[in-house]
Amino acid sequence: MPVVKAVTCPVCGSLCDDIELTIQEGKVVKVKNGCAMCESKFLGYNGEHRILKPLIRKNGEFVKTSVKEAVKRAAEILAEANYPVLYGWSSTNCEATRVGIELAEEVGGVIDNTSVICHGPSILSVQDVGIPSCTLGQIRHRADLVIYWGSDPWSAHPRHIERYTAFSQGRFENSAWRGYLTKIKASQVRKKIESAVRRVFLKEAPSIPPLIRREPPPSIFREGRKLVIIDVRRTRSAQMADYFIQVEPNRDYELLQAFRALIRDEELEVDQVAGVPVEYLEEVADVMIRCNFGVLFFGVGLTMSSGKLRNIDAALSLIRDLNMRTKFVIMPMRGHFNVTGANTVSTWQTGYPYAVDFSLGYPRYNPGETSVVDVLLRKESDAALVIASDPVANFPRKAVEHLVKNPLIVIDPHMNATAQMADVVFPSAFVGIEACGTAYRMDHVPLPLKKVVEPPRGVLTDEEILRRILSEVKKMRKKRQVEVAA
Amino acid sequence: MIKLTPAKEFQFPINAECINPDVLSGKTREEIEKLKIWEGNKPKKIGELFKVEENRTENPLEKEAAITIHGNVSKARRIGADMKNGEIVILGDVGMHLGEEMKGGKITVHGNVDSWAGSMMKNGTIEIHGNAGNYLGAPYRGCSEGMHGGKIIVNGNVGTEAGAHMKKGIIKIYGSAGQFVGFRMCDGTIYIQKDAEPRAGACMTSGKIVIGGFLESVLPSFTIDSIKGKVKIEENEVAEGPFYLFLGDRVEHGDGKLYVFKTKNPHLSHYEKYL
Repeated sequence: MPVVKAVTCPVCGSLCDDIELTIQEGKVVKVKNGCAMCESKFLGYNGEHRILKPLIRKNGEFVKTSVKEAVKRAAEILAEANYPVLYGWSSTNCEATRVGIELAEEVGGVIDNTSVICHGPSILSVQDVGIPSCTLGQIRHRADLVIYWGSDPWSAHPRHIERYTAFSQGRFENSAWRGYLTKIKASQVRKKIESAVRRVFLKEAPSIPPLIRREPPPSIFREGRKLVIIDVRRTRSAQMADYFIQVEPNRDYELLQAFRALIRDEELEVDQVAGVPVEYLEEVADVMIRCNFGVLFFGVGLTMSSGKLRNIDAALSLIRDLNMRTKFVIMPMRGHFNVTGANTVSTWQTGYPYAVDFSLGYPRYNPGETSVVDVLLRKESDAALVIASDPVANFPRKAVEHLVKNPLIVIDPHMNATAQMADVVFPSAFVGIEACGTAYRMDHVPLPLKKVVEPPRGVLTDEEILRRILSEVKKMRKKRQVEVAA
Repeated sequence: MIKLTPAKEFQFPINAECINPDVLSGKTREEIEKLKIWEGNKPKKIGELFKVEENRTENPLEKEAAITIHGNVSKARRIGADMKNGEIVILGDVGMHLGEEMKGGKITVHGNVDSWAGSMMKNGTIEIHGNAGNYLGAPYRGCSEGMHGGKIIVNGNVGTEAGAHMKKGIIKIYGSAGQFVGFRMCDGTIYIQKDAEPRAGACMTSGKIVIGGFLESVLPSFTIDSIKGKVKIEENEVAEGPFYLFLGDRVEHGDGKLYVFKTKNPHLSHYEKYL
């Protein structure tokens, strides 16, 4: 059986590129090296929810149609719209995004990618403060202090710790996976015993555990790799960390500012910040200053809690301050596999990473004004194209209500919640499985995506569908101009 | 005087920077009706979206064009942007970027205002009789040049980040304010008569914020300085105390002043031990 090596996994922002797939009769039958999410995608992508024919809604019902007919209908919707939105882009390749931006410019719409609901605030703060960052390879080989803030890599980016941080064997830093795994196993056993005692003997209902207040253990002062997790709850990652700081929900900003003050040798006039005693924070600040190469990874826990972009502003400023004393870098834990690519292509083409408004003919950018959720909440759009995303399942209800009230075009391999509400649905090939292309890893390293199997008969790639819609829109607009001139 | 009335209820964003006394002054009604204005992605003329009426004032001293807008223009953006003189009165709600970078004149709104009102204004006055959105007087994304002068008065509440990156001027809010009021402000005065959400004055380097109501918490990077009996807001206006005076934000080596009304904030009394 043919084995395809060095396949890039199209699931999360870690973009692991060491996956080995066994192909049999045009199907993936075995996945090696992948995490659970990777296996699930490669083995289960061709499930029962796959769409195989373009659909158009007629009298409230979906009707199967030809690609040509669906392209014509989609182009009509977009060409006639006064303020269309084009949303998604993070789970497709850079080539499709490039065509999408051309389409947005042609129809005078708002093009936005999923960063608007995840790391958009990070981008805003990076534009304000700047970002001292590096590639993940640097971190793997050199980082001796790894901090994850508002992010649970063990669950959301399962191979991140193994490939790039605490578990990885770097050239200058050793892996400590045995110790960490023992810890996580011990913690799981303890949890099970505690739960059994509570249920069987004490007959208590489960309750919210009190905030964990533990002094920093001596192990975080040792030489070598250390893992610190800062989060509102004790996640899997937190269970194995050398030190876990449980921050009160929505108090991250205060904690970050406290760290900044401590690193500047200021004294705080409070006993605790965000529920954490100041003397513990002083010790952690000490560990931060004493490390040789520190890294702070932050997730949606920081970008989407109270304070949003200003939390990131404080985190970036903290790293700037730390670089006066030692070497420290910071990196957002990007979610979708090519959300960084969507930002990169958008910046390359328009100057702005997301939420770009072409309604006046030139790109304008002002998240809050031109970001898709806000446009929908203000009920301003009159048509939408959604690609490789499922906003109906994720957006605020009021935004979804407006989105589905107007003509909606969906390009997706699956019949997801958004596709079910659409007026025109295009089936597309899975990028990274049935279509090749380029994707950007969370550290802005571009990696090639491979085509390992053929798409179902008649199913086109995202890029090809967008190209056809674009050329149809151009044709229609030209025809209209001729009519007006006549 | 020019009177504008929306001809319909707007759905799409209207880019209305031509609604500006400097542009409209000296133009006849016909000329004004032909001015270009954007509705969504379609270029239109003012006459298609607004009913334009003209009442020439008889007072020779009032040669500056005054514009009144009757009705809801909450989708119309950039009204009065860059205006240098004259007056706009709006009887209804108005959209984003009202009076952006205005250099003089006056805008009065008898309704609510959306975000970025008075963004980066240099001079002049904006008076809002309803509520204002987020980023009052704050610059656009990625810009650190906030309000450089002028005055904004809001009789209602404001959203987050009022007066961010403020360099000069005064903002008076007679209602409550959202988070991060005076974020990274360098100078100027912000007065909030009622409550403020936390993180007031975050990263401020200078200037003055006065909070007359409840403030849930002061950032840990602020230090208490003293208790003051009264604080000057502007000429002929003084806020009666007592006020806790905090200095900060020390993470930016700042010496901005954050006054918090003592009587309504007994939970801050633990700072008194450092006096």
